[in-house]
Amino acid sequence: MIDEDTAERTLDQVASGASPELAEVKLVSLKAREMSIKSGQVHSVSSSTDAGMYVRVVLDTGIGFASVNRISRSAGRDLAKRAVRLAKASKRKERVKLSHEKAAKARWSVRQRMPLGDVSTEDRMSYLKSLDSAVTGTGLKVQGRFFEVADVEISSYLATTDGARISSFLPRVRMNCLNMVTSKGETEQSFREWGSVGGWERTDEWGAGPALSQEMKMLKNLIDKGKAVKPGTYDLICGPEVTGIASHESCGHPMEADRILGREMSQAGKSFVKPEMIGDEIGSELATVIDDPTVPGSYGYYEYDDEGVRAKPRFLYKKGVINEFLHNRETAGRLGVKSNASSRSSVYWKEPIVRMANTFVAPGDMGEDEMIASVKDGVYMNSFTEWNIDDKRYNQKYVSREAYFVRNGKVAGPARNCVLEITTPRFWKSIDAVSKRIELIAAECGKGDPMQDAAVYAGGPMLRLREVNLR
Amino acid sequence: MSRLKEIATELVEVARSAGADDAVAEVYDGSVDQIRYSNSMIDTSNYWKSENAHVFVAVEGRTMASDLRDLRLARKAVPEMVKSARASPVNEDYKGIAKGRFRYSRGRVDKRITSIRDPARYVHEAIGAATANGAADVGGTLFVRRSEWCIASTGGALAEDANASIDLSVRAFSQPESSGQAVLVTANLDKMKAAATGERAAEFAAAAKDPVQGETGKFDLIMEPLFLGGIVGATGAMASALAVELGMSMFAKKMGKRVASGSVSMIDDPTLKTMSRRAFDHEGRPTRKNVVIKDGVLKTFLHNTSTAKRFKARPTASTGPLVATLFSTPSEPVMFHPVLSKGDQSVDELIEDVRDGFYMNNTWYTRFQNYSTGDFSTIPRDAILRIRNGEIVGSVKNIRVSDNLMTFWKNIDALSRSSEEIYWWDEAAPPADLPAARARKMTITRSS
Repeated sequence: MIDEDTAERTLDQVASGASPELAEVKLVSLKAREMSIKSGQVHSVSSSTDAGMYVRVVLDTGIGFASVNRISRSAGRDLAKRAVRLAKASKRKERVKLSHEKAAKARWSVRQRMPLGDVSTEDRMSYLKSLDSAVTGTGLKVQGRFFEVADVEISSYLATTDGARISSFLPRVRMNCLNMVTSKGETEQSFREWGSVGGWERTDEWGAGPALSQEMKMLKNLIDKGKAVKPGTYDLICGPEVTGIASHESCGHPMEADRILGREMSQAGKSFVKPEMIGDEIGSELATVIDDPTVPGSYGYYEYDDEGVRAKPRFLYKKGVINEFLHNRETAGRLGVKSNASSRSSVYWKEPIVRMANTFVAPGDMGEDEMIASVKDGVYMNSFTEWNIDDKRYNQKYVSREAYFVRNGKVAGPARNCVLEITTPRFWKSIDAVSKRIELIAAECGKGDPMQDAAVYAGGPMLRLREVNLR
Repeated sequence: MSRLKEIATELVEVARSAGADDAVAEVYDGSVDQIRYSNSMIDTSNYWKSENAHVFVAVEGRTMASDLRDLRLARKAVPEMVKSARASPVNEDYKGIAKGRFRYSRGRVDKRITSIRDPARYVHEAIGAATANGAADVGGTLFVRRSEWCIASTGGALAEDANASIDLSVRAFSQPESSGQAVLVTANLDKMKAAATGERAAEFAAAAKDPVQGETGKFDLIMEPLFLGGIVGATGAMASALAVELGMSMFAKKMGKRVASGSVSMIDDPTLKTMSRRAFDHEGRPTRKNVVIKDGVLKTFLHNTSTAKRFKARPTASTGPLVATLFSTPSEPVMFHPVLSKGDQSVDELIEDVRDGFYMNNTWYTRFQNYSTGDFSTIPRDAILRIRNGEIVGSVKNIRVSDNLMTFWKNIDALSRSSEEIYWWDEAAPPADLPAARARKMTITRSS
């Protein structure tokens, strides 16, 4: 149980030492558990409890942030003094301008049908073993067979000097795994992740076992029958996983306003997008990319961000046009707009920064079979292995994991390690068809210094890109 | 006995009393001051402090690890851990912890670093120097890190250690697409040269002005230590015995075989006075210098006690953190501080011997198609300078190195005689001592 009064007293302490434009106090208490198996045997079992708090103070001279892994009034007092001192020490030439937001008062929580804290070690082990069995049940030679399930229950309380009071409870569970299939002396690897907010019941909904069984067979088939793509120009169908990574990397990241304003310049980088580019064309009319923290049960779910702003869907690219950046109050203030609740801190000892939540391409109106039938000579890239993008988010590369040749409207044999290396506008402008069904895939997004991993979904429908270069 | 030692010893005793066969307690007390700056101004000054204990217990072959973040509750939590371990399935991979009568060497902490009161002055020095050298826009981070830690175990480990370091990263832009990056990492305040770091970043940014689209094909590459940091980090991770077991390493079945050119030797040396110096690994075994690659030949994997027994090898004192981190699973063998052998040429001499190539300042986003084959790509960033006939003739942009990691190491034909300690974000990590290097005929690709 979090002692909310500690936050109030700490805010008072800040006010006694300074007149900040804004001060925030956040108290966080969490329980985390992890279990992994390797080759069918226990590899690790761990659990942690943690409680801590931070104070963030915004003065004309700068921002000060101080945290400690303790929640107490004396700790709050010390942090308040330190945060004020740090904010004064920054000696900025330009004042930090924050957007003015409605001070929300709310309590929100995510319900667990099967509370994560009640799940026994045996049940966790049984779940992991079932996944391992799904893989070994294929009878294929699979190395690694590493499966990890981890969950966390986070309680927090945020209080700000402008009146926001947000209490929350967020349970989150994920499973990630690594498998390597060997055939004929060659290997193919697969890293998969599933994640949701909610209780243990979510693990049943993922259907990870059948998916992994299918994946192992696919990798074997890829090794045995896969052929390289002859370099050239083809139509490309992206499956939801590939759509998702492109949405995340070449839409979500470049649309983060802190990058656009240079705040992440020496780490994650800047952006090819400039503040004046709102309204510029970036893709075809079918390119609408949404980042939405409010998708129920989603891995990146939240109702209020870490500055107390009510979450809502953000339409980043809308019908092929640069539409809306991801903002916190600092970036919104600098650009004279409102925050759209993109401020997230992965743990209490890291400053809240602009983050994505669940980023996906909006669905279209084409059936998946219809889309494949429409391609005369192309590749269907359903999933990827190697990927990267430059720090202005303009040049990206995706190498296929599961891919097939498409000839005369029919899926032909597997294509192996098909490479799409393409600029951001070229990717989004090449889209000429979008399927109806969307799928969202869990991932961890890294950003910030020190690195903050944020739980996100990335996904969308199938996309058809006309005449792109593949090799 | 120090406070940390008392806590660690007590936690091990509590575990033993509760029935643990093996127990390790590592207690930390640390704080960090960080300044983040961009657009040539400080954005935020951050501070975080934590005291916590990582505890591992094993009972009848069943294991449990926990990050006990509230030391006041730790004594009560440990018996619960033992109870949870008893309820867990047997960990067949677990083969014990380090046991013995250990002797440790404790390094000296530069107390001038622990007592820095105005870290912002280094940031202002770096910004000032970069700006004076033509930078239009400067950003980066400064960290002042202080940490003390103590380990105790049922295996006989009992030791304390401490470290303090300062690391500065400066990225300077001369034009919107022309930048340079430089870092300074040290555990010795005498070596703190903030202005020189800013100046160096600005020099790269100036050299990178007016970049043109880079060509594709096979080119020779000369890489700064900062660039190599990310590649060495990925390579070091593959030396972990666990990575080999999982199929996450191109070094599987390569022991005693050539994995790099004869000019390459890679050592993991956490005993050096660096940002990553430590007297013992996370099982309490005294750290040592491990020669992983000698003259291009793979000599050892990195082991904890369990992987060493599974591989029928000797432990290398490479046990990583007892609990999972963003980058490692519990107790996974890790490389603490890679050191790459130096060569005998100056950087200018490395350049002179390149007919058609690139000089690369930095890279990021190193990703693999398949870890077991080493097929990968990485994206050069900051200054990418074009070399023709032994001279730098301009700068390029928008290229990618798309090749194979073992090919990369085998194609290294020269290293510089100077090296430096580098660390940047989580890309050029872990901290490492590296020279500049030249790799012949690497594949360069770009977007279409």
